[in-house]
Amino acid sequence: MTETTTEIISTKLNPNVLPHLHIWEWHIPLYLFLGGMAGGLLVITSIMIVLKRRFGIGPRDEGDGCPCLAVRIGSILSPVLLGVGMLFLFLDLAHPLYVWAFYTTIQPTSPMSAGSWILIAFFPLAVLQAMLVNKKFLRERNIGIVNKLIDWTEDHLTPVALVNAHIGVGIGIYTGILLSFFSARPLWSSSILGMLFLVSGISSAAALMLLLAPDDEKPTYSMIDANAIWIELVVVGLFVLGGITGPANSSGAMMHLIAGDYQMAGLSYMIWFWGIFVALGLLVPLLLEFLEAAGVHIKFPQVAPVLVLIGGLVLRFLIVFAGQTYHTFM
Amino acid sequence: MAKQKNYGMVIDTRVCVACSACVYACKSENGVPEGYCRDWVVQETEGAYPKLRMENRSERCQHCENAPCVTYCPTGASHYAGDGTVQVNRYRCTGCKACLAACPYDARYVHPEGYVDKCSLCKHRLEQGLETACVSVCPTTSLNLVDFNEPEAKADEMMNGKEVYRQKEHAGTNPSLYWISASNKPGA
Repeated sequence: MTETTTEIISTKLNPNVLPHLHIWEWHIPLYLFLGGMAGGLLVITSIMIVLKRRFGIGPRDEGDGCPCLAVRIGSILSPVLLGVGMLFLFLDLAHPLYVWAFYTTIQPTSPMSAGSWILIAFFPLAVLQAMLVNKKFLRERNIGIVNKLIDWTEDHLTPVALVNAHIGVGIGIYTGILLSFFSARPLWSSSILGMLFLVSGISSAAALMLLLAPDDEKPTYSMIDANAIWIELVVVGLFVLGGITGPANSSGAMMHLIAGDYQMAGLSYMIWFWGIFVALGLLVPLLLEFLEAAGVHIKFPQVAPVLVLIGGLVLRFLIVFAGQTYHTFM
Repeated sequence: MAKQKNYGMVIDTRVCVACSACVYACKSENGVPEGYCRDWVVQETEGAYPKLRMENRSERCQHCENAPCVTYCPTGASHYAGDGTVQVNRYRCTGCKACLAACPYDARYVHPEGYVDKCSLCKHRLEQGLETACVSVCPTTSLNLVDFNEPEAKADEMMNGKEVYRQKEHAGTNPSLYWISASNKPGA
């Protein structure tokens, strides 16, 4: 039998879509990483506050309703990291001066519209929570309006934290939903991407808190991180399986990611995915944190959280780049 | 009040010779910057020699009735114009590029002036009662502007009894461009 071929010659001139989609570079993956981590920090600190105040559970009690030092630091870092992430988002716009257009409308079908509003909704309560858990330092400064704000909300930290836990989950999921609604891009078009980015964000946030926490608080964050990594491994497995068992568009895109020889910074996607993200970013830190919990003392306790953070960053770059280098929905 | 329009195109690939007149007419009419295009010509050859089949076609934004770019646009810049076309309001476009990612036809580009641009079906000409630039120069009448709301539809007449398709219909976009396939027998 003779081989049949299809040859397509096109006069299309458009560097944004040829030879493949090329619209988002480093800004967007970096924002997704920072946004996910900010959401994760808000989730963890809020839950820690609620656990302490309602159930008396927590690494230590510093007497003012804040469970521990890591929560004080994490509460501040959460809005700061989101702010930095939003700066990258802003820099990615082709016409940054029109950024106001996001905030003069609500487009109910557009995830990016919902996202732009939730990014704004994040700040007031997250900043308030950061102020309340650090109120003893703010009191020393004795600024009139800050004092009044603290007096007024002092007794309401628990409901603030409860709302914040939900906003944190919303931000974490949104960073994945942003990509997963594009049915034209087969790799991104997976409803579990939101879950993957949420869990990865929580894991990165726990790793960051583990890095910054004083020694007596570290076991708590090591445990949170190890649990998040477990869940993330399951979700990554579902993401991969959902892709390769899907129709031609999905399975091709997933193979492009997990077995592709397309390169990012000199290494193939396959090596980035299995070697760096799964092995170094998930399995090795999980093992290290398991050993630590089992009482085997590790010489360099920073290794596990740093690997987790690198893994989280690599995941965002891989998904954004591999989603663009695979062909459009056919 | 005039009856609402529902513009689209019927493109007869049997007579398209891939001359690219449509591409250059569009570029000059709409001031499309160098290195980009709003429409383009595709030549697809299929089969095994000597039994080859070739189709030429002039492609552009499909002005979908269920347009993913409009669904996704966070500011309402991409919108349905009410005449069957999909338009971009450049003064609400932030250049977030979500519409480029959403379009299954890859019909959009980022204009160097910082907004997203694509075929407007020459809306400014339609409003003056003219045809689009590409249709007006097509030397073989492959390109045809139609109003699907017309009672004695020219569209039906052209497509009746022929093999007609729409691109990526399974994407659920309900595109407004109809293609008379080049595989129709001569005289069909």
